[in-house]
Amino acid sequence: MLLKLSLTGIKGRLKDYIVLFSGLIMASAIFYMFEALATNKSFVSSNSPIRMASIIFQIGSVLLGIITLVYIIYANNFLMSMRRRDYGMFMMLGAKGRKIAQLIAAETLVIGMAATLVGTVLGIGLTRIISNLLLSQMDIQVKQFSPFYLPAVIVTVVFFMVLFVMAAGVNQYQLLKTPVLQLLHNDQQPNHVSQNKLGQLVQIVLSLIFLTIGYTMLINVATYQIAGLVVALVTIVLGTYFLFNAFFGWMLRLLKGNQYIRNRGLNNFTLAQLRFRIKDYTKMLALVAMLFALALGAITVGIGYQSEIPAMAKTMAPYDVVLNQPNPQARQLAKNLTGVKATANYDVKEDAQTVYYRATQLKKNPIMAVQYSNDRAKGIKPVQLKTLQKGNVAALQAIQVPSQFSKDVKVVTDAEFSQIASGTIPIKTYRVKDFMANLSVIKKIHTQQVIANPELAKGQGALMDGSKYVNYQMANGMFSGLEFMGFFLGIAFLAMLASCLMFKILSGAASDVKRYTMLAKIGTRRSLLKQSIAKEIGVLFCLPGIVGSIHVLFGLQLFKQIMLNPYQNLWLPFTIFMILYVGYYWVTTWLYQGIVLKTVTQ
Amino acid sequence: MDTPTVVSIKDVQKTYGKPNEKQYTALKGITFDVKQGEFVGIMGASGSGKTTLLNILSTLDKPTAGQVEINGQAINGLKGNQLADFRAKEIGFMFQDFNLLENLTAYENMALPLTLQNVGGKQVQDFVTSIAKTLSIDRLLNKYPTELSGGQKQRVAAARALVHKPAILFGDEPTGALDSKSAKELLDTMAQLNEQQRVSILLVTHDPFSASYCQRILFIKDGQIGQELVRGDRPRKAFYQEILDTLGTFNH
Repeated sequence: MLLKLSLTGIKGRLKDYIVLFSGLIMASAIFYMFEALATNKSFVSSNSPIRMASIIFQIGSVLLGIITLVYIIYANNFLMSMRRRDYGMFMMLGAKGRKIAQLIAAETLVIGMAATLVGTVLGIGLTRIISNLLLSQMDIQVKQFSPFYLPAVIVTVVFFMVLFVMAAGVNQYQLLKTPVLQLLHNDQQPNHVSQNKLGQLVQIVLSLIFLTIGYTMLINVATYQIAGLVVALVTIVLGTYFLFNAFFGWMLRLLKGNQYIRNRGLNNFTLAQLRFRIKDYTKMLALVAMLFALALGAITVGIGYQSEIPAMAKTMAPYDVVLNQPNPQARQLAKNLTGVKATANYDVKEDAQTVYYRATQLKKNPIMAVQYSNDRAKGIKPVQLKTLQKGNVAALQAIQVPSQFSKDVKVVTDAEFSQIASGTIPIKTYRVKDFMANLSVIKKIHTQQVIANPELAKGQGALMDGSKYVNYQMANGMFSGLEFMGFFLGIAFLAMLASCLMFKILSGAASDVKRYTMLAKIGTRRSLLKQSIAKEIGVLFCLPGIVGSIHVLFGLQLFKQIMLNPYQNLWLPFTIFMILYVGYYWVTTWLYQGIVLKTVTQ
Repeated sequence: MDTPTVVSIKDVQKTYGKPNEKQYTALKGITFDVKQGEFVGIMGASGSGKTTLLNILSTLDKPTAGQVEINGQAINGLKGNQLADFRAKEIGFMFQDFNLLENLTAYENMALPLTLQNVGGKQVQDFVTSIAKTLSIDRLLNKYPTELSGGQKQRVAAARALVHKPAILFGDEPTGALDSKSAKELLDTMAQLNEQQRVSILLVTHDPFSASYCQRILFIKDGQIGQELVRGDRPRKAFYQEILDTLGTFNH
């Protein structure tokens, strides 16, 4: 009988349950997606040049686990906020406590288990779609990766089962401990927040000091190293917390003090709601801001590597194409290069010990070389003939094949050159405006070059082919794995944090129904009520977004060490991120409006 | 000169349920007027149709048949925003459980109907302070509802209902959640407002004591007006006795 009652209860609130259920499905799907990468050791190790990657993934895994835990707590609260009254009624009707406890456990576990299984299947599908999308969109190479990975399935299912068993236990305990009357009348109206002004001021000052210290550490990470990182982590977390605990409350009070803002429509009500919420959500919002920073940071760095790859290749080879002893196909293909800035022809002769170059040619078209200062590439500059004649001939390697690297180099006059008894090897160099735009042509040329000079394919280490294309490929192989991880991490974190925020907000909706109903009764337009909700939730989404973005802007300083320019193309990750985040905002607002405005009869 | 009519309802019927389902008729043709400055009570047992009638009068629900006019305007044709605006301008509400917003101060709660109509800040202040004085709650303006007693809360609610000078004040068991002393004080105040400021009041109640403050009482039974009592010049106590007598016979 109770089971039947319980099922009827679920049917009555089907829409709310669909929200809850789809939220849980998303959570497990995302968790699986992430685990599919993180638990796949061979993928992690074969795709990252640095051994840090597997540590990064382990840290990421733990973090995601914590967020998932928080998320399940909120989702569970949402579930309980829907069911409390029903359970209270069953108990009032005389149902035994133990029976109810069983019912709660069964309900939580059934919902949790079903969601986990569906979510894992969805996760496998999503992993396939997203990885295919990433692979096809950006010339990424990923090794050892498959959407279905058994250990990941096991980790996901076990992890969620444990969480739900825990949640069921907590629900049982809480419900049985609460008096029946309180279950029936759970109108815990949030009260106004009274705040100690001095304490608030101290916290505002503290938050600014902490953030300043943290940001300074990030900017000067080269000086402070690991210690700086640890200090930054602690101070930024504390600073963020105080920011939400005091600073934003203070700002809302300022807004409320403004006559013009206060006296328009529902502004006063919206501000009061916000003041209460921000105080109530302090930890939550601070957490969301930090996660937002991590997720956005991961995507930014991921995309950063994408633009890093050609930039990296650029610093390793001065020419886009070097035709060394080209075959006719290669010459033909070279005509297809677009935006050619400069070309040069060199004649070369070689014997067993020496490679000969013509001084006139090197004077007319000086050889180009990448200039370095402080271990950083500073553009490409011509090399003076004198430098070569003095014996600094390293620059010539740019137009050599590997077997010539170890030979002596002689720069000779035209007369001397013609006397050397061996065949002339023609070399032609190209520099184009946009390497990436010519990538497909350059790839074909390179294939022909390997056919003409088979040793190019064999060279390794110091004898490796130094052409720009090969350098590009190497960088691409190294970084696209990182890029892929950055994207995955970022999207997984974003989805989780936004869902957390969503459920936290939604679980408070039930207690707001009365207020919105009253406002409608005294003649508030429906559109105004919707606006008020949109504003309130908008601010709750905006604040951690803004704080998180600022954290990212400073956090990118860390990558200055290992990336050429982490701030390049910043708009792209920010735009992608904003679109997803705004999507979550719309869904939350829509659901919230559905919950609080549905009882208003018109 | 005739006193203008603020509420006029004519042959109002309300039927719940779809045509193919079992239908229930809550109101079976109700007709009455409330003149400006009247204090009218509606009494009836649970299920008599009081609440349905009040919901229709306050434009929260629509009648199945019949006309409702408030302050000379027919409300049958109003929709969506028009309805909301109409409520905001013409109607004041008092609820049994006060329905104050807990996160706003008494002042802010009272100012709400005015800010909804975007009344200027200075005017809001004038209106709120003047109504607060009338209801003698001008010392409580900066308190939050949780810091107020039940009686004080209902006074704030009354002030909120009257601050925008509505055509009529609807009270839905406003004394239902108050102790007898607070209830009496509130009723005295309402009667005073009615006499001195000519506020038109329609009070729905099943409490004879509350009803005895009215000038005229309509008894509803099974969706129809069964009887009407007029106080006239009698003292309140005598009227109270008559109500008790009527209830004794009316409900059976």
